[in-house]
Amino acid sequence: MTFLEKQTDPTAPLHWRGNMQADYLYPNGVAGDKFFKHIMQNDSFLATKCDECGKVLFPPRLYCEDCFIEIPEENWMEVPAEGTVRLFTVAKLNAHGKKLPEPKIMAMIDIDKTDGALLGVIKSNDSERDFTGARVRANLRPKDAREGTLKDIVNWNLI
Amino acid sequence: MENRKEEKPTYPKYAPGTHVRTSDIRDKKITYTWWEPEIQYAWSLGNAMSKFLQGLKEGKILGVHCHKCNRLIVPPRSFCEYCYGPTEDWVELKDTGTINTYSVSYLDPNANRIEEPILIGVISIDEAYPKPMGFMHYFGEMSKDEIHIGMKVKAVWKPEDEREGSINDIKYFKPLGGGE
Amino acid sequence: MIKKDVAVIGAGMTLFRRRLKETGKELSFLASKMAMEDAGIQKKDLDMVVMGTAPDAFDGIHMKGENLLDGAAGAGKPYVRVFNGGGTGVFAPIAGWWHVASGVADVCLVVAEEKMGSCYPHPQTAFRHIWDPILDRPLNPNLVWLFAMEMNRYMTVHNIKKEDIARVAVKNKRNAVGHPCAQLADPNITVDDVLNSEMMAWPVQRLDISPPSDGAAALIFVSEDVARQYTDNPIWIDGVGWNIDSTMWTNRDLYFPRYVAKAARMAYKMAGISNPRKDIDFAEPYDPFDYKELHHMEGLLLCDKGEAPILTREGVTQRDGDLPICPSGGLLGVGNPIAATMGQKVCELYWQLAGKAGKRQIPGDPRIGVGQAWGDIMQMATVMVMRR
Repeated sequence: MTFLEKQTDPTAPLHWRGNMQADYLYPNGVAGDKFFKHIMQNDSFLATKCDECGKVLFPPRLYCEDCFIEIPEENWMEVPAEGTVRLFTVAKLNAHGKKLPEPKIMAMIDIDKTDGALLGVIKSNDSERDFTGARVRANLRPKDAREGTLKDIVNWNLI
Repeated sequence: MENRKEEKPTYPKYAPGTHVRTSDIRDKKITYTWWEPEIQYAWSLGNAMSKFLQGLKEGKILGVHCHKCNRLIVPPRSFCEYCYGPTEDWVELKDTGTINTYSVSYLDPNANRIEEPILIGVISIDEAYPKPMGFMHYFGEMSKDEIHIGMKVKAVWKPEDEREGSINDIKYFKPLGGGE
Repeated sequence: MIKKDVAVIGAGMTLFRRRLKETGKELSFLASKMAMEDAGIQKKDLDMVVMGTAPDAFDGIHMKGENLLDGAAGAGKPYVRVFNGGGTGVFAPIAGWWHVASGVADVCLVVAEEKMGSCYPHPQTAFRHIWDPILDRPLNPNLVWLFAMEMNRYMTVHNIKKEDIARVAVKNKRNAVGHPCAQLADPNITVDDVLNSEMMAWPVQRLDISPPSDGAAALIFVSEDVARQYTDNPIWIDGVGWNIDSTMWTNRDLYFPRYVAKAARMAYKMAGISNPRKDIDFAEPYDPFDYKELHHMEGLLLCDKGEAPILTREGVTQRDGDLPICPSGGLLGVGNPIAATMGQKVCELYWQLAGKAGKRQIPGDPRIGVGQAWGDIMQMATVMVMRR
């Protein structure tokens, strides 16, 4: 099929502009709520251990997605807010393609004593170095400013 | 002895989940993450819709034919969705029609309550076919008690210098008075 | 063409509420786990997983099928998300059915999830974006307008009184009293309560509408080859149908949902049902609004056009009537987490046919039931026929 008629008027409108505005409130979830409430009070993290596969799940979960069993209450454990950089990249542009004032070092950090990882920003003036394997510690907001979201982790300091 | 039927369990046997009330959020009993996405779009109009909006800007309602299905289509499109053939032969339609259905709304787009109701509905445009053939728009110059299905209506246009090639170049449809 | 008969051997469902603390993944897990326990199945037994979840804009997570998969036992499995708006609640089980009927899976988990409470200021905000951006959205429409216009057209064509429509809301909210997940069960509601409730967009009033909800539901489908390994009492899927009409809704007469009739005929033909009024013992038509139950009874060919309000008035559609409709309590009584209404529309068929519905059980050992969902811009119908 081909269209038989075409719009040939060069002054005719071509586009209609708009957005898809809506705001969101995501409850952090049953496991997430416990995780973030712990961070609000402590300088450490929580993880959950699956009895079936033995994995220490981080961030902590209500269930193990591999074994598909619920994690019992007693399998919640405290782990240090420290880890090792597994992967990293250095961002020089922001999400809108504008140049950032400072390069931003984004890393995936394997959290100590767990089988899980977290994304974070590494605080360093040297954006040229290789961060792979670097030891890092979470730099948390002052306790009275913590609000129970990922933003409570400001960035990660090299140890 | 009484022979009682054993009470069978009701499935689902339990109902997992934790109800959160608005007050739980206000009082920060649960933690949550807030996000305000920002995305802008520019939707391409395509040939048919471009021509239709250009027509509205000029104070005209345009329709287009599918001769195979014997349809005079409005809003116009480049193809007929039933036979999947191309449409052709554009015509200007009279800006009069019949109310096919309507509502009297006390809700704004975000479900907030409004005092003065909005009259909204579908207008089947007189010269287009088969019926119903038309589009959604507002109604004005009539009360919520006067509006009815089958009512004859006519478009009220914005002044020419305010028209911009939009469905809102028509302000609303008003009752088609006698003599018009 | 169909290689295997497909049986349902387990179902699960979470609480339905305006907002739940659980994430979508956690809800998916809770529903899936219940269905798997019911069926005696573990994750390793699952060949495939189907996820049904409606617009991304409710949960506020793009590609939410991927976000949810861990909670739906999908990690490391052949997994697919299906989606057609409000039709998803029955379309997800249809997709589960074809995974098994085609012979490619013996055991398939179907999960349906929706989390509407995340969307602010109201789930209606997300519904704004389903309208045509050029022709409809500049008029700033609220989705309730669309239903109000359809309801008005239906009422006017058949000269139906509002009180005859309100009876549906009363019946379903009362039926929901026996449902442990129900959000708006009310044993004392009356027709006057509905008629006196807040006017939203005439003719739609507050109590004509089902509430937005968070929730999840799950089903286990197995092939005829393995069904008897798991249960002595499988419930069979006899027919499926789906159909969608043109998006140009202002060019269609909304008084009758002809796409529902087409989907129903497809399902009835497959199920060998020649006289649906006689053969079908009960139905779970989609009831996001009270008039929709009536509209869909007519679309499902369970009565003549315009006859559904009369049957309702005469008590035929009550749980103990000749043709029980929405014995679960429907969306009006149990809640409307879009895709997760699979819990009322298909899980309920299973519970009723298996004699497991307890307080909600239809008397007289029903043998054949039909479930249906509906969505998009008054255009999508999904139908499933199940048999004991």
